Amino acid sequence: MLDALWLVPTLPLAGFLLLSLTAGKLPERAVPWIGAGSVGTAALLAAIIGIAFWNQPPESQFFRQTLWIWMQVDGFQPPVALYLDALSLIMAFVVTGVGFLIHMYSAGYMAGDPGYSRFFAYMNLFVFAMLVLVLADNLVLLYLGWEGVGLCSYLLIGFWYEKPENGFAARKAFVVTRVGDTAMAIGLFLLFTQLGTLDIQSAMQRAAAQWSAGSPLATAAAFLLLGGAVGKSAQLPLQTWLPDAMAGPTPVSALIHAATMVTAGVYLIARTHVLFGLAPEAQWLVAVVGAITLLMSGLTALTQTDIKRVLAYSTISQIGYMFLALGVGAWSAAIFHLMTHAFFKALLFLAAGAVILSLHHEQNIFNMGGLWRRLPIAFWTFLIGAAALVALPLTSGYYSKHDILLAAYGAGPSGSWLWAAGVVGAFLTAVYTSRLILIVFFGPARAHHAVEEKLSLSMTVPLIVLAVLAVIGGLLEMPLQPVLPVSREHESGLLIGLITSLAPFAGIVVAILFYGTKRFSLEAMLRNSAGFSLYRFLLNGFCMDWLYDKVLVQPYLRLAASNKQDVVDKPYQAIVWISRSVHRLLTPTQSGKLRWYAASIAFGAAVVIAIGMFT
Amino acid sequence: MTADALIALLPIMVVAGAAIVVMLAIAVRRNYRLTVILTLLGLVTALATLPLAAERAPLAATELMRIDRYALFFIGLVLATGVAVTLLCYDYFAKREEQKEEIYILLLTTLLGGAVLAASSHFASFFLGLETLSVSLFAMIAYPIKERLPLEAGIKYMTLSGAASAFLLFGMALIYAEVGVLSFAELGRLSATADFQPSVLIGIVMIIVGLGFKLSLVPFHLWTPDVYQGAPAPVTALLSTVSKSAIFALLLRYFVVSGSYSYESLSAVLTFIAVASILVGNLLALLQDNVKRILAYSSIAHLGYVVVALITGRVLGSAFAVEAVAFYLVAYVVSTLGAFGVVAVLSVGGDEAETLAAYQGLFWRNPGLASIFTASLLSLAGIPLTVGFVGKFYVFSSGVNADLWLLVWTVVIGSGVGLYYYLRIVLAMMKSADGVATAAVPAAPAPLVGCLTLTVLVALLLWLGVYPGAFMEMLQSLSKTLS
Repeated sequence: MLDALWLVPTLPLAGFLLLSLTAGKLPERAVPWIGAGSVGTAALLAAIIGIAFWNQPPESQFFRQTLWIWMQVDGFQPPVALYLDALSLIMAFVVTGVGFLIHMYSAGYMAGDPGYSRFFAYMNLFVFAMLVLVLADNLVLLYLGWEGVGLCSYLLIGFWYEKPENGFAARKAFVVTRVGDTAMAIGLFLLFTQLGTLDIQSAMQRAAAQWSAGSPLATAAAFLLLGGAVGKSAQLPLQTWLPDAMAGPTPVSALIHAATMVTAGVYLIARTHVLFGLAPEAQWLVAVVGAITLLMSGLTALTQTDIKRVLAYSTISQIGYMFLALGVGAWSAAIFHLMTHAFFKALLFLAAGAVILSLHHEQNIFNMGGLWRRLPIAFWTFLIGAAALVALPLTSGYYSKHDILLAAYGAGPSGSWLWAAGVVGAFLTAVYTSRLILIVFFGPARAHHAVEEKLSLSMTVPLIVLAVLAVIGGLLEMPLQPVLPVSREHESGLLIGLITSLAPFAGIVVAILFYGTKRFSLEAMLRNSAGFSLYRFLLNGFCMDWLYDKVLVQPYLRLAASNKQDVVDKPYQAIVWISRSVHRLLTPTQSGKLRWYAASIAFGAAVVIAIGMFT
Repeated sequence: MTADALIALLPIMVVAGAAIVVMLAIAVRRNYRLTVILTLLGLVTALATLPLAAERAPLAATELMRIDRYALFFIGLVLATGVAVTLLCYDYFAKREEQKEEIYILLLTTLLGGAVLAASSHFASFFLGLETLSVSLFAMIAYPIKERLPLEAGIKYMTLSGAASAFLLFGMALIYAEVGVLSFAELGRLSATADFQPSVLIGIVMIIVGLGFKLSLVPFHLWTPDVYQGAPAPVTALLSTVSKSAIFALLLRYFVVSGSYSYESLSAVLTFIAVASILVGNLLALLQDNVKRILAYSSIAHLGYVVVALITGRVLGSAFAVEAVAFYLVAYVVSTLGAFGVVAVLSVGGDEAETLAAYQGLFWRNPGLASIFTASLLSLAGIPLTVGFVGKFYVFSSGVNADLWLLVWTVVIGSGVGLYYYLRIVLAMMKSADGVATAAVPAAPAPLVGCLTLTVLVALLLWLGVYPGAFMEMLQSLSKTLS
């Protein structure tokens, strides 16, 4: 059964080829059957393969399928091979499973869009690229998938390309992640040149054998890979692209910018955990990046007015938790949170999409309100997703986040600081999530348009399935031991556990006091000039865009403007000028006069004979 | 004269016989189609006798001709080119002149001259072949006698050709006066042992002048664009392929057999001619607006590239030079036939399709012909996957191996400039056809015979560009036979 593994990425690829080669000529009814059908079949296949893998695990605990050798040049022979172990299996489950539900939802959400077929073609290509990324056996294939998902992200953010700002957001996402990708590419080259292999597993084994802990090469490689990870996963300092990426259609935000692609960085670090184990500084930095990012984006989410931007900052913050877990060595907890987050964040985006669609593409939360009675399915599913995000007990998010925080507490001397940051983050999460629900679904109705819930079956079913997964996903923790090392068991004490569990409730209470009962007035705080400045600062995401604009973009533009005449062009223009001048000099020789032609032969003969005689 | 010698000479005799048969057939009854069929029949028969002759090769058939595989290869090239030109002429002349059958007699005598040149190993056959070729061409160029441009081109070519022949004869006389023999092989044997007066060198340079004129090498090139433009398009195709490849085959044989490679100063002469041809040819084509003139200048440059391969034979040995020259000439002939063939096919309905404006938007009006033209132009420019690329590769590698860096850099610059004007034509074809008077090229249905011929040519052009291996092996084996 495992031999069918190659079909899992091939099916979405076939869907992409079919949809793109027919160039939108297919009847609209057939498009979702191809688009969602290919991913659905891949999901089914992945499930069957997964069951076979668990029932009868191969002795080596992994399964490798070599499809062909890409090229053979002087010892460089990267195979196109797939690698299946518990980690890549979980990733494949998430990508195909959640991917299928979102494809199904898209069939209803995107109905009637002129680019319907194009949308599914891109989405299928994305699923293919993501599967290549997680199933890759070697660094070349991994990089192919890595760049492939980046390309699809670009294509889908700018899906509605008629609006210039969408194109801008797409370019921004592409360019910012490119910074990280470049670092990662250098890192991969470093691994290849130093370890002499492209195969990920043997590269890790050789790294452990060749490099001692804390050796400069290991540290450099780990830092470079971390650069790629923070770019793709929108962590500090490359997080600025993700909020703007919300310009894409909502299913895209759910699939690419919440459930799968943005967690590729987490997957990368987990996949190369041996390397990070050899580079304690780099691993410590992973934890710090995660902690700071989750706090910053949690604070920013407090002030956002666009429903999707709130969720985007929340995504950055939740991936921050995963980085925190990776940094403290809680590998399994990070992947566990990756999975539960995929469930509940996809659910939140899809439910938000239902709200947006019902309000005729209104995204400002202050133009919503009182929707819970009119949009019951959207409301209840959103509420369930929010509960998991906030990590209320018994939801999936509770188990994964709890694991992470306890592991952080037990992680060495700085552990309590990391834990504290995580708990504050959990508190912030509860505040902004409750704020979102209170403003959107409760309070007075502020909608400008008539509101009616018109959800097709293809949209309702994924919402309900994801809601169920968001609740029971905590039971689906899968054993990752052979692949990822077990994190240390530690005693944290009852008090720590209690504080960790209760922080979200504190957040909910605070939110209700501000936005529900209006016990505290936000307006009073904003009238204060310091308070208003803080609000503006947070609203703009710590003004990172402003800072990058001043430090990077403007100097670059000035440099470009100073070379507007392009010095480099000058030699080429000179070539053109010389050629044309010589052409004009030579043209008069073609006078058409016979006597001149005859004379030129005689003259030429004299020259040639002279050359012959005097050399 | 033995039976073997007669059989070895069969290809040449069949062509001569075909010319007579066609002439008699016309005298009995004027029938255009019959004339063409007889011509083709004669050429195909001549091609079919090549294997017979090859069995007898190498053989000295009289003192004048040497039939070896080198000669037979170029005879085959000349005859195959003749078949293609006949097919291109068929549509072109079908509706033109009142007395159009005679062009095929002239075509056959032209090919006869070319075939004699390819096999000649003696100054007498050399001159006879050359004059047979040239005199036939005078008449072919001026064939549309009532039009001004062809007549002017014919007169120009005839007058200047006479001047060039005078140089040629004078050169031969100088050599004969000093050495006393007319056969190439005798000449080679004597010059290996004896030390001659400088007048022999002057004689060789004068022969180069005479041949340089026919090959349109700078500084003897000025007639080229005028004659190419004035001649009917299929005749231009003939002029730029058969006459060039046959004469170059002779020049190379003369160089190898008569021991002219031993003169160091000849390298300087040829280097000057090659560099001047490549630079002047390409630069003159740069901003030209007449497609036939562009192709004329481009042929000047291409012959310059072949001279580079000729020069390197001095360092690399004659075998490699033969291989490189033969491949380049084949590449040049195939690509040039394709390019002029498109011009000929487009000129079927009336006026010559020669201005760049006439080609504007051709891609949208006739994508097939435009693609063929593009492929031929890209091959002339030396773009990979076309036969032109492999040919140019030969020139580059021979130049690099012989350490002739001046020539290599000239070829590089020439190729760069060349790309510009070839792509200008392609660009014009790609442009939208809006606003172009469609009368510029009449929308006559593209003639079937011409289009089929062009399709075969392009297939050959791509096949030799993608799988040149087998052909290269054949050239390698025949290159050793010339000595």
